[in-house]
Amino acid sequence: MDAAPLTSKRRTGRWRLLPERGTISLFELLLLAICLVLVAVPLPQYLQDVLIQTFLWAGLALAWNIAGGFAGLISFGHAAFFGIGAYTSSILAANYGLTPWIGLWIGGALAAAFGAVLTLVCARLRGPFFILSTLAAAEVVRIAALNWAALTGGAEGFSILPIASIANMVFESKTTYAALMLGYFLLIYAITKAVEGSRYGYYLFAARDDEEAASAAGVNPLLARTGAMCLSAFLAGIGGSLFAQYFLFLDPTHVISPELSFQFALLPALGGLGTAIGPVLGSFVITPLSELLRSYFGGAGAGLHLAIYGAVLVVVMLYFPSGIAGALQRLAERGRKGAP
Amino acid sequence: MTTVGQLVFSGLLIGGIYALMSIGLTLIFGVLRIVNFAHGEFLMVAMYGAWAMTRYLGLNPYYSIVAIVPAMFLFGIVVHRLIVMPALDKPHLVVVFATMGLSILMQNVALMALSADLQDVPPILGGRSFTFGPFYAKPELLIGFAVAVACTLGLRFMLQATYLGKAIRATVQDGEAAQLMGVPVPRIFLITFAAGSALVGLSACIMTPLFSVFPTVGLNFVLIAFVIVVLGGMGSIEGALLGGICIGIVQSLSSYYIAPAFGQMFFFMLFLLVMIFRPAGLLGRKGEATLGIND
Amino acid sequence: MTALLEVRQLTRTFGALAAVAGVSFSVRQGELVGLIGPNGAGKSTLYNLIAGAIAPTSGEIVFKDRPVAGWKPYQAARAGVARTFQIPKPYRHLSVLENVALSAMLHDRTVAAACGSAQAILADVGLADYVDAPVGNLTVGLLKRLEVARALALRPSLVLFDEIMAGLTPSEVRGMTNLVAGLPARGITVIWVEHVLYAIMKTAPRIMVLHRGELIADAAPEVLVKDPAVIKAYLGEETSLA
Repeated sequence: MDAAPLTSKRRTGRWRLLPERGTISLFELLLLAICLVLVAVPLPQYLQDVLIQTFLWAGLALAWNIAGGFAGLISFGHAAFFGIGAYTSSILAANYGLTPWIGLWIGGALAAAFGAVLTLVCARLRGPFFILSTLAAAEVVRIAALNWAALTGGAEGFSILPIASIANMVFESKTTYAALMLGYFLLIYAITKAVEGSRYGYYLFAARDDEEAASAAGVNPLLARTGAMCLSAFLAGIGGSLFAQYFLFLDPTHVISPELSFQFALLPALGGLGTAIGPVLGSFVITPLSELLRSYFGGAGAGLHLAIYGAVLVVVMLYFPSGIAGALQRLAERGRKGAP
Repeated sequence: MTTVGQLVFSGLLIGGIYALMSIGLTLIFGVLRIVNFAHGEFLMVAMYGAWAMTRYLGLNPYYSIVAIVPAMFLFGIVVHRLIVMPALDKPHLVVVFATMGLSILMQNVALMALSADLQDVPPILGGRSFTFGPFYAKPELLIGFAVAVACTLGLRFMLQATYLGKAIRATVQDGEAAQLMGVPVPRIFLITFAAGSALVGLSACIMTPLFSVFPTVGLNFVLIAFVIVVLGGMGSIEGALLGGICIGIVQSLSSYYIAPAFGQMFFFMLFLLVMIFRPAGLLGRKGEATLGIND
Repeated sequence: MTALLEVRQLTRTFGALAAVAGVSFSVRQGELVGLIGPNGAGKSTLYNLIAGAIAPTSGEIVFKDRPVAGWKPYQAARAGVARTFQIPKPYRHLSVLENVALSAMLHDRTVAAACGSAQAILADVGLADYVDAPVGNLTVGLLKRLEVARALALRPSLVLFDEIMAGLTPSEVRGMTNLVAGLPARGITVIWVEHVLYAIMKTAPRIMVLHRGELIADAAPEVLVKDPAVIKAYLGEETSLA
């Protein structure tokens, strides 16, 4: 389920074709080039919207993956972190005039704090117990947001003033938003790659694969996991703030929903859990696909894209549990067997 | 009659019905050690079935039990063969995501095929409340509670007295050992999963007169079911009944004294408190929070 | 001379059962001490207590003059106590090299340096050919050697070996025995639980015998084979010779 492991035969100084732990591959560079081109080139508005969402979700999926894929903390409650970030920066902007450029860090920090508390509180829980706890915690946050109308606007929602300016982090041009989201995604990708190839990353993998053995090797599993969840929550919270600045409207039913939480988990699952490129592939394939299906089948087939999504998830999990990234890896291995 | 007493009584009854809905989930977890994330959608499908039989065949949901329960049993067999069995020998998150995918698929197929409108079944038993001692309650609630208790007792009897029951208990305690002793564990898995599904069918027939059905109704109830199962102790049938009653009472009291929306929030907080202080649940074995099993 | 490890009246009960009952011994720096006993004698529990996996019910554990009873496994590792697991616990998603490198990362702060250390150790235990192999392909014998490699990569002062010979061929047993015998010279103190008795009897100058949670003997092998208590404990036992 992971990127190709480090081998003693790793050729340093020579480019790898496919993504691997600890190094940048040609595949990743190509993908980066494509992304830059897509942002720079003039596209029709609706395609730009798809691009913005794809980049945002790539970042969000990567954020989830740090906790879920790397640390093994499968969470079905990440929408809570997303929502905390979104509401924090928006409320600070509306009530205190604080620019979202600063507010988003505060939102991220709050989300991280919440993540830390959650992980510590659920420290002894494993497997489905942990998953259900994250679900419950997210529901608590959603219901709190729904009912604390004085702060969050409750069910009626919270609008962000659509006055375009850099200080407000509201932009007229979708290209600017696309660049913003691309920046977010690239930042998280860089962090993910750095963690993946680092000592800390390895400690996470070990604690995930066998906590007892990792502990006997000097790893403090709880600390490692809590750190991963904090980072994951922090990045998801920032994503929430960015989303708020783009969508300009928040309401708990859609922003802190179980459906959104599932999305956080499904993209990495489809793309390949535990790898850096997996969540990216998951978003790059699924997000445009859902938009395409949604616009093509529209209201009449409301839910067709999701139904397909669900069916694909079942098939992928049963027959390609390593996701798209794993399938790529196996193709590469078959290719490698041909050449020395 | 005091309000509190009435609230507790109503909570007790609805709690029993919630418990009935959760028994299948806890049985499946106890034996197969998996969480079926599509549990809510099983309920949704069965509720639509019961509603349809009332709407198009004029059969009231209590009579539809005869058709719905076997149908859900068969449905359970199909899902088990196609989805659960291939996932069992893989890392546990495969079955988590696979059942989640099934859940999303079922929800949206329902959305596409049926309208998103709430569908109701007209009152069956006159629509008036019964007086039961010093309390009053809708007859559907009373019947539902009675069925829940009967089901719990019946299952307990089956587990203690029949060979199948003993085989199930053996599998729960130690699947490998059971298999070595000649228990056909794969078939036990299949039967248990299908039985869990059938129990959902039964609870759907009980719940249709009381709740509206719509494509995403499963989501509301599955979270309640999870909380009940964990509270009662994963794998414990009596625990599910007890847990359900607790949840029903908590929801009833907090909805009245605080606010209906907060009612939901309170039992999630209750869930988290249980997870922190007694992860094995009320009737679970202490220390079994990693893979809760119970006799 | 102060002891590296001292255990005093160490007891661990599980309900009514005393898995370890009032065990006392000390091990000096540079010793190679065997630990034998019939199944169920409490050897694994004793290891778990020393390595921090479980806490004692009563008694003391002193390591490098520090009382450490009830410490956590990662604290033990960082202080210089390494252990192997009787049933190997490799990291399934990492390669053989990475499995050992993980342990080396305790001291090597970069992944590259850790991999370098790991390669050397893997060669030491005879796993050089399997460096890039995915862990899932290894046999039990190879996995046991991986356990040894992981323990040594921690650069411990004290290592607790748990039945590392099981599943090895006679020549592999010889190789492993030589490795273990050479550890004290490298500054590593060894406690060695083993069922493959001929290996341990030949190599360890001192052997402790555990039976039903109690230490019933602690002497040189030649003395032990004549000890009536030891003979009684093993009477009727099918001892495995690999």
